[in-house]
Amino acid sequence: MKLTRRTALLLAAATALTPVAAFAQDSVKLGYQLPLTGNTAQYGQDFKDAAEIALTKFNASGALPVPVEIIYEDSRSDAKEGVTIARKFVDDKEIVGVLGDFTSTVSMAAAQVYKKAGMVQLSQTASHPDFAKISKWQFRNITTQDQEGAVNAQWMMDKGIKKVAVIAEQTDWGQSVAKGFVEPFEAAGGEVVYTEFFNRGLADFRSIITKLEDQAPDAVYTGFFYEDGAQFLKQMAQLDAAIPVYSTSAAYNDQLIELAGDAAEGLLLTATFLPTRMDANVQEFVTEWDKTHDHAPGQFPAQAYDAVNIMLAAVVKAYPDLTRDSLRDAVAATTDFPGVTGNTTFDENGEPLKELTKASVVGGMFVEVE
Amino acid sequence: MSKSLLIKLGLLVLAFILIPALLMGFDKGYYYQIATIAAIFMLLAASLHLVTGVAGLLHLGHAALYGVGAYVAAILGANHGIGFTLGLPLAGLSAAAIAFLVALPTMRLMSIYFAVATLGIGQMLYLVFLNWVGLTNGPNGVMLFSGINLFGLEIDSDLGIYYVVAGVVAVSILVLNRLSHSYYGNALRSLREDDQCASAMGINVTVMKIQAFVISAFFAGIAGALWAYTTGYISPNDFHFSQSILILTMVVVGGLGSLPGVLIGALLLILLPEALRSVGDIRNIIVGVLMFSAILFLPKGLFGEVSALNFARRVLGQGWAAQKGEKGIGWK
Repeated sequence: MKLTRRTALLLAAATALTPVAAFAQDSVKLGYQLPLTGNTAQYGQDFKDAAEIALTKFNASGALPVPVEIIYEDSRSDAKEGVTIARKFVDDKEIVGVLGDFTSTVSMAAAQVYKKAGMVQLSQTASHPDFAKISKWQFRNITTQDQEGAVNAQWMMDKGIKKVAVIAEQTDWGQSVAKGFVEPFEAAGGEVVYTEFFNRGLADFRSIITKLEDQAPDAVYTGFFYEDGAQFLKQMAQLDAAIPVYSTSAAYNDQLIELAGDAAEGLLLTATFLPTRMDANVQEFVTEWDKTHDHAPGQFPAQAYDAVNIMLAAVVKAYPDLTRDSLRDAVAATTDFPGVTGNTTFDENGEPLKELTKASVVGGMFVEVE
Repeated sequence: MSKSLLIKLGLLVLAFILIPALLMGFDKGYYYQIATIAAIFMLLAASLHLVTGVAGLLHLGHAALYGVGAYVAAILGANHGIGFTLGLPLAGLSAAAIAFLVALPTMRLMSIYFAVATLGIGQMLYLVFLNWVGLTNGPNGVMLFSGINLFGLEIDSDLGIYYVVAGVVAVSILVLNRLSHSYYGNALRSLREDDQCASAMGINVTVMKIQAFVISAFFAGIAGALWAYTTGYISPNDFHFSQSILILTMVVVGGLGSLPGVLIGALLLILLPEALRSVGDIRNIIVGVLMFSAILFLPKGLFGEVSALNFARRVLGQGWAAQKGEKGIGWK
């Protein structure tokens, strides 16, 4: 672009003179930053699909006199791009709220921008323990590991399990998995006999499995996603390690069963979303999802679907006095929102309080257990 | 006024008057952000240029040294109350110190073996960021709440931050320019062309390599501190191997050995993906195709070394110009 200093100054003057356009009432705009390309694109694409289902349904329902529009921006799970997108969203005066990002790293880097500018940010997956605490503008729709760890610890206690090995991936999330479980478990009188963190994408878990077997735990508590989970479970089966494996909602994914096969049988985990649950919301989402996908939706797209719906419900509540401030307050006031991942209420920090379902893999399927 | 002075002034006017005026004109945080990131990556590319372009050592771990600077600045700022004024040089010095330690055993390695050694150093440092939870907070990263405080002056406007970043980057590039376009730079170039010959001419090859490596790491550390302070949150992922490759690509696409070239390369690789944002998911493919074509059709880079040196000699280096009745002797 060729601009002399004079035109630049003219431009500056023109911008200063233009009155800031009040929120145009022909549509409501939301931003969604997510990885649509790069290493984590498969997650971002699922979020986009889930968001589109939620948005289409919302706009067809006529809950607002004007349509809502979501602007998607690709962050490639790169903090540089995430921050740049955040600045872009903040610049656009018509955007009143933002969803995303996927990873904690990018969500937290972008959060510094939203905090400064005052824009509500609702991430469907950012699991870093400090994310929601950054400021009053951050919210998330993923259960914290403090919640999941406590439920798992109680579950094991109920079964008389006293000695546990903890294996989790070496990420901010993996750290919170271990911490969220170990504290309540030890407080209840349990003993953690072995803790190990592994780097994501580890191909060979056998040395870890051998070491944990040496400690003879009654159960293993794990923090992994389906790719690593499938490897771990297969190698546990190969080494005939007959120790019950407990895990978190992150392992909840049909592809875990696909990849691990029989080795996934008997895996115990907590989840907030089960596509097989006979609930009208869940079935509506799953039916729409199945029209364009050949596998059932996992935990993450379900969280994205709910996050979008929570944001849309807040838009309805704040409308027509819709500003970034009023939308933030409406999101914060979310109470018992009925979604596909259970009912959601935000606490004062922006953390979602959800009910967790206990599930197990039986006959190649995730089923709810009592 | 000589032509040389005019061009220098022109560049300064561009960086400190025209671009800020444009940024103010648009008044968008988005453009400020891009300008800041572009400046940081120009410094990273310019510092890698000294090692890889001028001294000819393929360095695959530059992002890790950038990370050392970022972590030092962020940890000092967040936990020890040492602000930007002191944190910035300390970040550079720490990166340089670590580079010195790892350079001692590796600098005698040749060509591809050196490249593999730097790859290893990069991965080692990355794993330290990721796994030394007690020091670096591991994968949780470090949040830096304090903004830029320059000699007691709190700088929090977008324009102020741009000026700080642009000022630091401009001074750093000036130093790198002097180093690469001087007798010293010529000596480094001689190592690249034939280190045995250079050694026979009395150049201490190992010492020169270590110096180049350490100086380059110092500026990478400075860039890291700028990143930590402008973003407010860093985590190991920001300093992954892929970032080393990104910086290396800037150097190669811009022109190995050409300082103006690598600056253009850095600008291009930061601006292009942003400019192409509107085309959607295929933007990375377009960037890839453009990079591939650049290498195919301009194997010496966008602004190749020979033309860059001619340019630098003609307009930047007065020492090169022949004095009346004498032959030009090169840079001093």
